[in-house]
Amino acid sequence: MNFEEAQQELERIVQRLESGEAPLDEALKLWERGEELYRFCKERLDTAEGKIEELASRAEAASPGA
Amino acid sequence: MKVEAIEYGDRKVFSVGAFNRGVASWLQRLPTVWVEGEVTELRRSDRWASVFFTLKDPQDGSCLGVSMARGQFDALRLELADGDRVHAYGRPELFEARGEFRLRALSLERFGLGDHLAALERLKAKLAAEGLFAAERKRPLPLLPARIGLVTGNDAAAKRDVLTAVTTRFPPANVLVAETYVQGPRAAGAVVEALRALCREGVDVVVVARGGGSFEDLLPFSDERLVRAIADCPVPVVSAVGHEQDTPLCDLAADVRASTPSVAGRLVVPDLAQLLERLDRSRAGLERGTRRGLERERRRLDGTHERLARAPRLLLERRRAKLEQSAGRLRTLSPKATLERGYAIVRAGEEIVRFGRAVEPGERVDVELADGGFGARVEETR
Repeated sequence: MNFEEAQQELERIVQRLESGEAPLDEALKLWERGEELYRFCKERLDTAEGKIEELASRAEAASPGA
Repeated sequence: MKVEAIEYGDRKVFSVGAFNRGVASWLQRLPTVWVEGEVTELRRSDRWASVFFTLKDPQDGSCLGVSMARGQFDALRLELADGDRVHAYGRPELFEARGEFRLRALSLERFGLGDHLAALERLKAKLAAEGLFAAERKRPLPLLPARIGLVTGNDAAAKRDVLTAVTTRFPPANVLVAETYVQGPRAAGAVVEALRALCREGVDVVVVARGGGSFEDLLPFSDERLVRAIADCPVPVVSAVGHEQDTPLCDLAADVRASTPSVAGRLVVPDLAQLLERLDRSRAGLERGTRRGLERERRRLDGTHERLARAPRLLLERRRAKLEQSAGRLRTLSPKATLERGYAIVRAGEEIVRFGRAVEPGERVDVELADGGFGARVEETR
């Protein structure tokens, strides 16, 4: 599962919950799943370290006659 | 041709003539090729058998001497001026008398900007026919790439613009930068190699960024190899090459075309603030939705409970109503109601008097009315 899929599922769950069509058992399961997805997404954002790396040396070596 | 060397002990030494002859004969084995360049220093004389000029590479200024048979040159009537772009077909040769290397041209064609454009149009039509630029080939960009590849020149501007745009919008972004040639004859191959290297390292999306430049400068980005490499790239590619009005073919093959490197940078990352807000909204919705669902269930339960509590009383009332109804019917059937309408019951002793002959004149009878009654004597019978 990637971030995008998780976010989309989370939004579908919210929609279903807000529609009020889900029976209680389902609603509670949806809520648990939703919380899980929220934590997953949040973690993705919190753990990204923000690195700028250079691949220059390798590209240079790979181009003949550089 | 055999080139003889003089031997001084174990050292082999060639005369200048022999060396030049040797190199010249080796050069003759090289194939005939087309070379593109700008004509300068054209020297022609009716007294010479050949015409001489220099071909200059407009990209890096490299020079190549060219000679061509005067008769052939004149027959072409090219009327070349300094700086005119040509394609020369020939093979390398050495002018032995002077040890000068040059291209011996067998044919010469003018190749101006128009020809470049025409060649580009032909390539464009060919690649378009293959479906390389088709809209259905375009892939969506990932919302949140784990790592972004950036192919750029070492000119600071384009690279800085992309990085600034990326990190402003999404500070935790990871970017892998491949600096490479973005100009000159090596550029196309180098960009292709950089693209591959980035994909090998693992990126989710690649930005190819190059600032503006002359038509010539941007030509590598219309190179067939580069255009194909972009179309074949395993991850989506955003092309930001040149300015708005330039459309190098790589722009057409890329999944998304950005008008500037900054725009490309903004395209490949989400807005962190917005993303967090959206996530928080989702979470609030999650809580609200669940709470609302619970409350609805509770209300439904309360309603059911109330109905349950009401049930016995309801039953009782129903029974009572039924009883009332029965009582009513009972009342209409009782003689009381008949007496109310003005009838009377006459009794002689315990017996109810139903016909005249049942009593005798002078006999005492009791008359019962709706309310009260009285005693009486029979006057006569009929």
